[in-house]
Amino acid sequence: MVIKIVEMIVSPILAFVIGVFFLGLSRKIMARIHRRYGPPITQPIIDMIKLFYQKSVSHGILFDLGVVLSLTGSVVVILFIPFGGMCPLSGSGGLLAILYLMLLAPLGMALSGGEGANPNISIGISRKFILSLGYEVPFLFVILAIMTHYKTISIVEIVRAQQGLHWSIFSLPLLLSAIAYFIILPAILGIRPFDIVSAPQEIASGPMVEYGGKYLAFASIDHALHLFIGIALFVDLFLGGAREPITFFIKMLVVFIIGLFINAVFPRFRIEQAIKFLWKWPTFFAFLGLIVALVVR
Amino acid sequence: MDRGKISKWLKYPEKMGHKYSLWAIYFATGCGIMEIPPVLTSRWDAERFGVLPAATPRQANLFLITGYVSVKTLRPIVRTYELMREPKYTVGFGSCPINGGMYWDSYNTIKRVDKYIPIDGWIAGCMPRPESIFIAVTKLWMMIDKGAATGYIRYRENYRYYRENQERILGKLDWPPLYPEKMGEDNG
Amino acid sequence: MKIMDREENLREEILSVFKNTEVSSPKRKRLTVITEKALISEVMKFLKDRGFKQLCAISCIDWIEEKEFELIYHLSSFESGIHAMVKTKIDRENPVMKSMIPVFTNAQTYEREIWEMFGVQFEGNPRLIPLFLDRWRDIPPFRKDFDIREYVKRTFDVIPSLEEKQNG
Repeated sequence: MVIKIVEMIVSPILAFVIGVFFLGLSRKIMARIHRRYGPPITQPIIDMIKLFYQKSVSHGILFDLGVVLSLTGSVVVILFIPFGGMCPLSGSGGLLAILYLMLLAPLGMALSGGEGANPNISIGISRKFILSLGYEVPFLFVILAIMTHYKTISIVEIVRAQQGLHWSIFSLPLLLSAIAYFIILPAILGIRPFDIVSAPQEIASGPMVEYGGKYLAFASIDHALHLFIGIALFVDLFLGGAREPITFFIKMLVVFIIGLFINAVFPRFRIEQAIKFLWKWPTFFAFLGLIVALVVR
Repeated sequence: MDRGKISKWLKYPEKMGHKYSLWAIYFATGCGIMEIPPVLTSRWDAERFGVLPAATPRQANLFLITGYVSVKTLRPIVRTYELMREPKYTVGFGSCPINGGMYWDSYNTIKRVDKYIPIDGWIAGCMPRPESIFIAVTKLWMMIDKGAATGYIRYRENYRYYRENQERILGKLDWPPLYPEKMGEDNG
Repeated sequence: MKIMDREENLREEILSVFKNTEVSSPKRKRLTVITEKALISEVMKFLKDRGFKQLCAISCIDWIEEKEFELIYHLSSFESGIHAMVKTKIDRENPVMKSMIPVFTNAQTYEREIWEMFGVQFEGNPRLIPLFLDRWRDIPPFRKDFDIREYVKRTFDVIPSLEEKQNG
């Protein structure tokens, strides 16, 4: 019992640290790809410290609560994800709970943005939901294929079944699912080429237009947590998870850096191009994976 | 640069945060904006000093006024400045915001921007090189360190003076005063 | 056909149709048409039919001693490469001109600018509203009798700086 409570406290903090590390690393690697020197790896922390010391302006109660809801959603999802043998809420829900809770973050942002009353926010929010519609379809197929293949909805069971290099990426139906998931990963994380939601040049960072000071700090914490969730889920579902945190972290790092190279060189999709793309290739691979999983079974 | 000093971070987290994370909103009023893209991209790379372009005034804390300010652009400049959250720093870029520059006798150009909004530092030149932006940033660090970059406090204290000057040029402003409590008292 | 011949042919053609009009060609690929105020619309239409499809700009000169404004319409032809200037003079005291929008649609913005800077009224232009200036209360600034330095002193320089204000 005590261990569970400790895990509940430790795992969000660990997720935050890793997420922020990834943010800093991504800025540094991006800079090197652009042939720049780049900021120090601690730059996201410096930004957050500054933002917490800046004065911020509120636009109403929902404006505050939306940010909190979005952050809470992310923290709760983290409690469901096994992180190197550590999974505080392993007994309940599993993949289905994750699937639903992952929608809390955009929902919180939408609630908060509705109070902000800025036209850019409405555009950003509508794009966010359209994009979710785009990636939820292949994501659902991926999850279904995995659940069919392992005959369980518990993510802990799935990780256990993959022990000893029986990674699901090495079996054919789930290889297709892994490809599909890897393609939609940037859309889930909201980074390029799917960063149309918060495109700073056209809609002035979308849902975050009215955020300043502490709100922006919370939004960037949320982004860091989201980065952790998206990649940790990939590692858990396809790369066999890990028994100890270090191995898990290394696996995450590999996935993240491969994803970052794609992120660094591609331009941004328009929203209808993004939907067209997401409903074509990832959906095709995910659907094929589901069919094969059903047949093989 | 004392960005790596942990002891200083623990002692003054506020100052250090503001120093090494300057998010700039730059107002493309005139020719000065041409110097900004090389500063931000690979050639000079301002990000290594923590200077980033901000998307909106709410997120920014450094305001770069690049180039001459015409009467029509003064209005959005004032609005942008008032939208920014405190503490905020302003830098006038080029000789035109300082005293009008080559537009010293123009009928439609604001001659001294610091009569309408407070300016923390100036970069002289027509045009200043991108390196001078970095010199300005390092000077701004020193000023923040000493507590001398007090433009936003000056604005709050003398709000009535600034608002009167703005209304003198622009006519009646169609947004409410930022510090209504300062409008009543005389601080001349 | 020799190169100079195109300008010469055009000159003769214009002179045969319009009276009270001077046409000259100061150098190769240039054509200057000086005509009277009433004829300008017809001249422009005529030139448009001869291939001058683009209205590049409209400029205005304030001849304060003659008490006249001179309007210059710059036309250009993509076929022959000739740059034609159609000039006319209007009264300075009552500067009214017919709008050129029916012939060239893009004249609207040029006329709006000249209305703002010189105060020339263009009849038939539906959008004569301020373009560059913000709440201008003085005489139009490009007129010769507008004293810029005096205006700058009166408007911008009288505002005290913060130090001056604080030191009294």
